[in-house]
Amino acid sequence: MRPGEGKACGAPGDEERSDSVAVSCENVVKHYGEVRAVDGVSFDVHRGEIFGIIGPNGAGKTTLLECVEGLRTHDSGSIEVLGLDPQRRTRLVRERTGVQLQTSALPQRIKVGEALDLFAACYERPADWRDLLTRLGLGNKTGSYVEKLSGGQRQRVFIAFALVNDPGLVFLDELTTGLDPQARLAIWDVIRDIRDGGTTVVLTTHFMEEAERLCDRVAIVDHGRIVALGTVPELIASTGAESTMSFVVDGSPPLDRLHALPGVSYAEHVEGRVIVHGTSARFAQDVMGVLAGIDARVHDLRSQQPSLEDVFLALTGRRMREGAPA
Amino acid sequence: MTIATKLVGVQTKRTLREPAAAFFVIAFAPLFALLMGLIFGNDPVPEFGDRGYIDANLASITAIVVAISGLVVVPTDIVTQRETGALRRFRATPLRPLAYIAADVAVRFALSMLGIAVMFAVGILGFGAHAHGNLAGVLLASALGVLTFLAVGYALAAVLPSQGVAQGVGNVLVFPLIILSGAAVPLAVLPDGIRQGAQLSPLTQLVELLQGLWLGQAWSENLVPVLVLLGVLGIATAIAATFFRWE
Repeated sequence: MRPGEGKACGAPGDEERSDSVAVSCENVVKHYGEVRAVDGVSFDVHRGEIFGIIGPNGAGKTTLLECVEGLRTHDSGSIEVLGLDPQRRTRLVRERTGVQLQTSALPQRIKVGEALDLFAACYERPADWRDLLTRLGLGNKTGSYVEKLSGGQRQRVFIAFALVNDPGLVFLDELTTGLDPQARLAIWDVIRDIRDGGTTVVLTTHFMEEAERLCDRVAIVDHGRIVALGTVPELIASTGAESTMSFVVDGSPPLDRLHALPGVSYAEHVEGRVIVHGTSARFAQDVMGVLAGIDARVHDLRSQQPSLEDVFLALTGRRMREGAPA
Repeated sequence: MTIATKLVGVQTKRTLREPAAAFFVIAFAPLFALLMGLIFGNDPVPEFGDRGYIDANLASITAIVVAISGLVVVPTDIVTQRETGALRRFRATPLRPLAYIAADVAVRFALSMLGIAVMFAVGILGFGAHAHGNLAGVLLASALGVLTFLAVGYALAAVLPSQGVAQGVGNVLVFPLIILSGAAVPLAVLPDGIRQGAQLSPLTQLVELLQGLWLGQAWSENLVPVLVLLGVLGIATAIAATFFRWE
């Protein structure tokens, strides 16, 4: 899969910009009645990266993605996909991008191979769908009915639809929602393979862990706006959120020596556990250095890093998922 | 062309794999004729002008089939595909919407005509029904009826919001229209006012056209039904084209 090769853009000058930028949004606005579902969003997606649009349910992720895909018409602002306007050059954008929709299904009683054959025929330059199915681990499923597959297998079929035109850019909307953890891990591997094959991936998710493990860069969306954008380590560093290490010690806790460490903000002894808070890059090593130097036995050592969840909490004052304890 | 043939292939396979749909589209009309033939036979009786039951009613069975198909089966199926997001998935490809609809209509049309042709074969070969007019003309009129009611089905699918509503509206429409069409109950037994009102129904017009041609009338004697059906076909197509939604 080598997107970019032999995919000359329609108009001269298109190619130059789309060399490095796969998607460019500037001040995109989309209303539903009175509600501003997308409220002045600007971002660029670089070629060859996995770009995540993350945020709570109802934040406007899917609306934004569908505007970019050209499935919805935005009210104002500009969107370029592979250098093309998805509203004016819709068919060309469809030819060159792959789309996995959050809410879509297949007609009943259609076999995997038949469906791929049909979708491949929709495009001018389809990929070899048999090869594609094999790479997605579905090589032996061509004769199975799509509705009889497991959730993870069905999602891989829908990924296959999105890749059947050998696109330079693929959109994946809430791909792993409803999957069990094992199937989710397998799908993550598939997405990394897609990126490593040279295809740019734009995905939405409300799973923070998914964004942390998978995305090269993420845009955090809340109430239709991007509240933060960057790599996961950048975003976490930007909030100044603290890491913690905690352990149980037989004997007196070395609180004074821990407090003396440069990266430690404070250390406490709570219900038998010592909890150390800090931010420096060497925080964990420094704490372990102290532990190595004391005579008392230390056990049950745990380490917790700040996550995107903490970034969201710091930016909005709310938890990403409703009902999660703040 | 290749996408058109593939769409036709997939739609055909899907229909044939759905036992209920396959039965209805292909086998319902022949079985209906067979059942009626076995119950009533085809001996001449005075009620039907000294013609047999099958002789007198065979052509009308077409109208019952196209009405159920166009008013219930087609709208329910298409609204269901819209609700599940199956149509939406095609929207995300460069496929032209018209290509999808054309393939869908072609498959439904062909399978319906197959069922109707077998039905006529059952009546003629099995029970000795006799077309006084040109059988090809009767089949052409059947084709006009199938197309018209397919268009009505698409128009209903375009304007009805959900599968439940589509099913409800279809059932509310289909039984009165069949009863008023003369295909199930002879119009002669209905009161005058109702009989005149029934003339407004395109299904009644289809039955009159089919019966007329079966009995040997010329097309020129049936201009009213033909114009009514063509008019409904045009209006339904316009409604479908204007309001059809993929999601």
